[in-house]
Amino acid sequence: MASSSVPLLMKDEEPRKRAELPSELISSIMLRLGAIEILENAQKVCKSWRRVSKDPLIWRKIDMHHDLGDWRISNYDLEIMCRHAVDRSQGGLVEIDIWHFGTDNLLKYIADSSSNLRSLRLANCDQISDEGVVEAVVKLPLLEDLEISNSYEFSGKSLRVVGQSCPNLKTLKLNCSPVTHDFFNSDRDKIAISIAESMPELRHLQLYGNGLTNTGLNAILDGCPHLEHLDLRECFNIDLVGDLEKRCSERIGVLRRPNDSTDDFPLAMFLESESDYDSDYTYGYDRDFPFASEFHGD
Amino acid sequence: MSSNMIMLKSSDGASFEIEEAAARKSKIIANMIEVECVDEDKAIPLQNVTGNILALVIEYCNKHIVDDDDDVATEEASEEEEEAKKKKVDDWEAEFMNSMSLETMFELLLAANYLNIKSLIDLVCQTIANNIKDKTPEEVRKIFSIENDFTPEEEEEIRKENAWAFG
Repeated sequence: MASSSVPLLMKDEEPRKRAELPSELISSIMLRLGAIEILENAQKVCKSWRRVSKDPLIWRKIDMHHDLGDWRISNYDLEIMCRHAVDRSQGGLVEIDIWHFGTDNLLKYIADSSSNLRSLRLANCDQISDEGVVEAVVKLPLLEDLEISNSYEFSGKSLRVVGQSCPNLKTLKLNCSPVTHDFFNSDRDKIAISIAESMPELRHLQLYGNGLTNTGLNAILDGCPHLEHLDLRECFNIDLVGDLEKRCSERIGVLRRPNDSTDDFPLAMFLESESDYDSDYTYGYDRDFPFASEFHGD
Repeated sequence: MSSNMIMLKSSDGASFEIEEAAARKSKIIANMIEVECVDEDKAIPLQNVTGNILALVIEYCNKHIVDDDDDVATEEASEEEEEAKKKKVDDWEAEFMNSMSLETMFELLLAANYLNIKSLIDLVCQTIANNIKDKTPEEVRKIFSIENDFTPEEEEEIRKENAWAFG
């Protein structure tokens, strides 16, 4: 835990000018801002805002989720910024969200200093590999919530190590574009079986666009007896009929089926779906994310 | 539910009548009621809250006391009903916050803090956060009349820290 759960020292003897907020309110506002917004704006407002921004409690959650279209982002090296935010948490980091940047080195940096981490969410992080994930999770025994979505270097072969290293894992989200799968590959149930054999405590599993078949799905139902929420959208190798369908609908509280709408899926815009592939539909911007390289600072 | 009415008096002398159940949204007032500091004939003086801000606080408390009653009455409401109700409250809150300037929001936050109304503090903080997240430090200072009190040394320290900025 962070050493400083003690409130910030506020020497407030001077007469308060109108519209000066007490530090607990500045803190309450700052907790609702993302890491980029705090470091680039809020901490530069005045002394008292800066003092609050250095409180490790502000950094228990680091939200570095941002829109690709945000022009300001191209001015920053987000990996350096993220390391700085992790430093400010002083070991108290509980939850971190990283979008569109990050390397195995960053993961290592986070894991080395944040043994209390409960939630690690990585989305569209092209440079995060299985090796990097393995090196991190072995240092994160308390992890309960892991997402690795749309990260091309991550194959899922490290999932067993994830399961073994993080016995409390309750939420796993591994989402990818269904078109990236080789649907005839004999290994298409590999991810599902790794999950089934190593993550018995899962409550919430999201496998959007996964190549698993009925065999893999049965294995998951066998291996994860506490599963309450299962999202199988765009998993078109599954044929959800008969006994398997019955088993799913009886066992799983919230079940999203392969053909269910993807409208409420936050990453849908980044993931090609089969129907998109078949039609002339194109995204608001190029599918290959022409801006992506700018955001890695390389 | 008790429909006792109590009186609140703002710092500038305006009196407001409010249902006790709504006033109890404020932990401070609830405590006063618990320890029977409230004289039925006398208004509770709130020295740090002006009349126009207190009117907003009361509007919020009245709205939310109704919602709380609904919660009790429809305990077995379906998920959709719950969602619809939540949306209704969210919409009301959005409109409520939209109706005021950032300046007023700031005053309202101080009042909510003084009166200790947790849900109102959260609502205002969230709205302020949404409003300032894309603003530069200069813009935030201007909105809230905050003085830039950094010394040149501190400015320099912040600049040096910015290792993430591309030149």
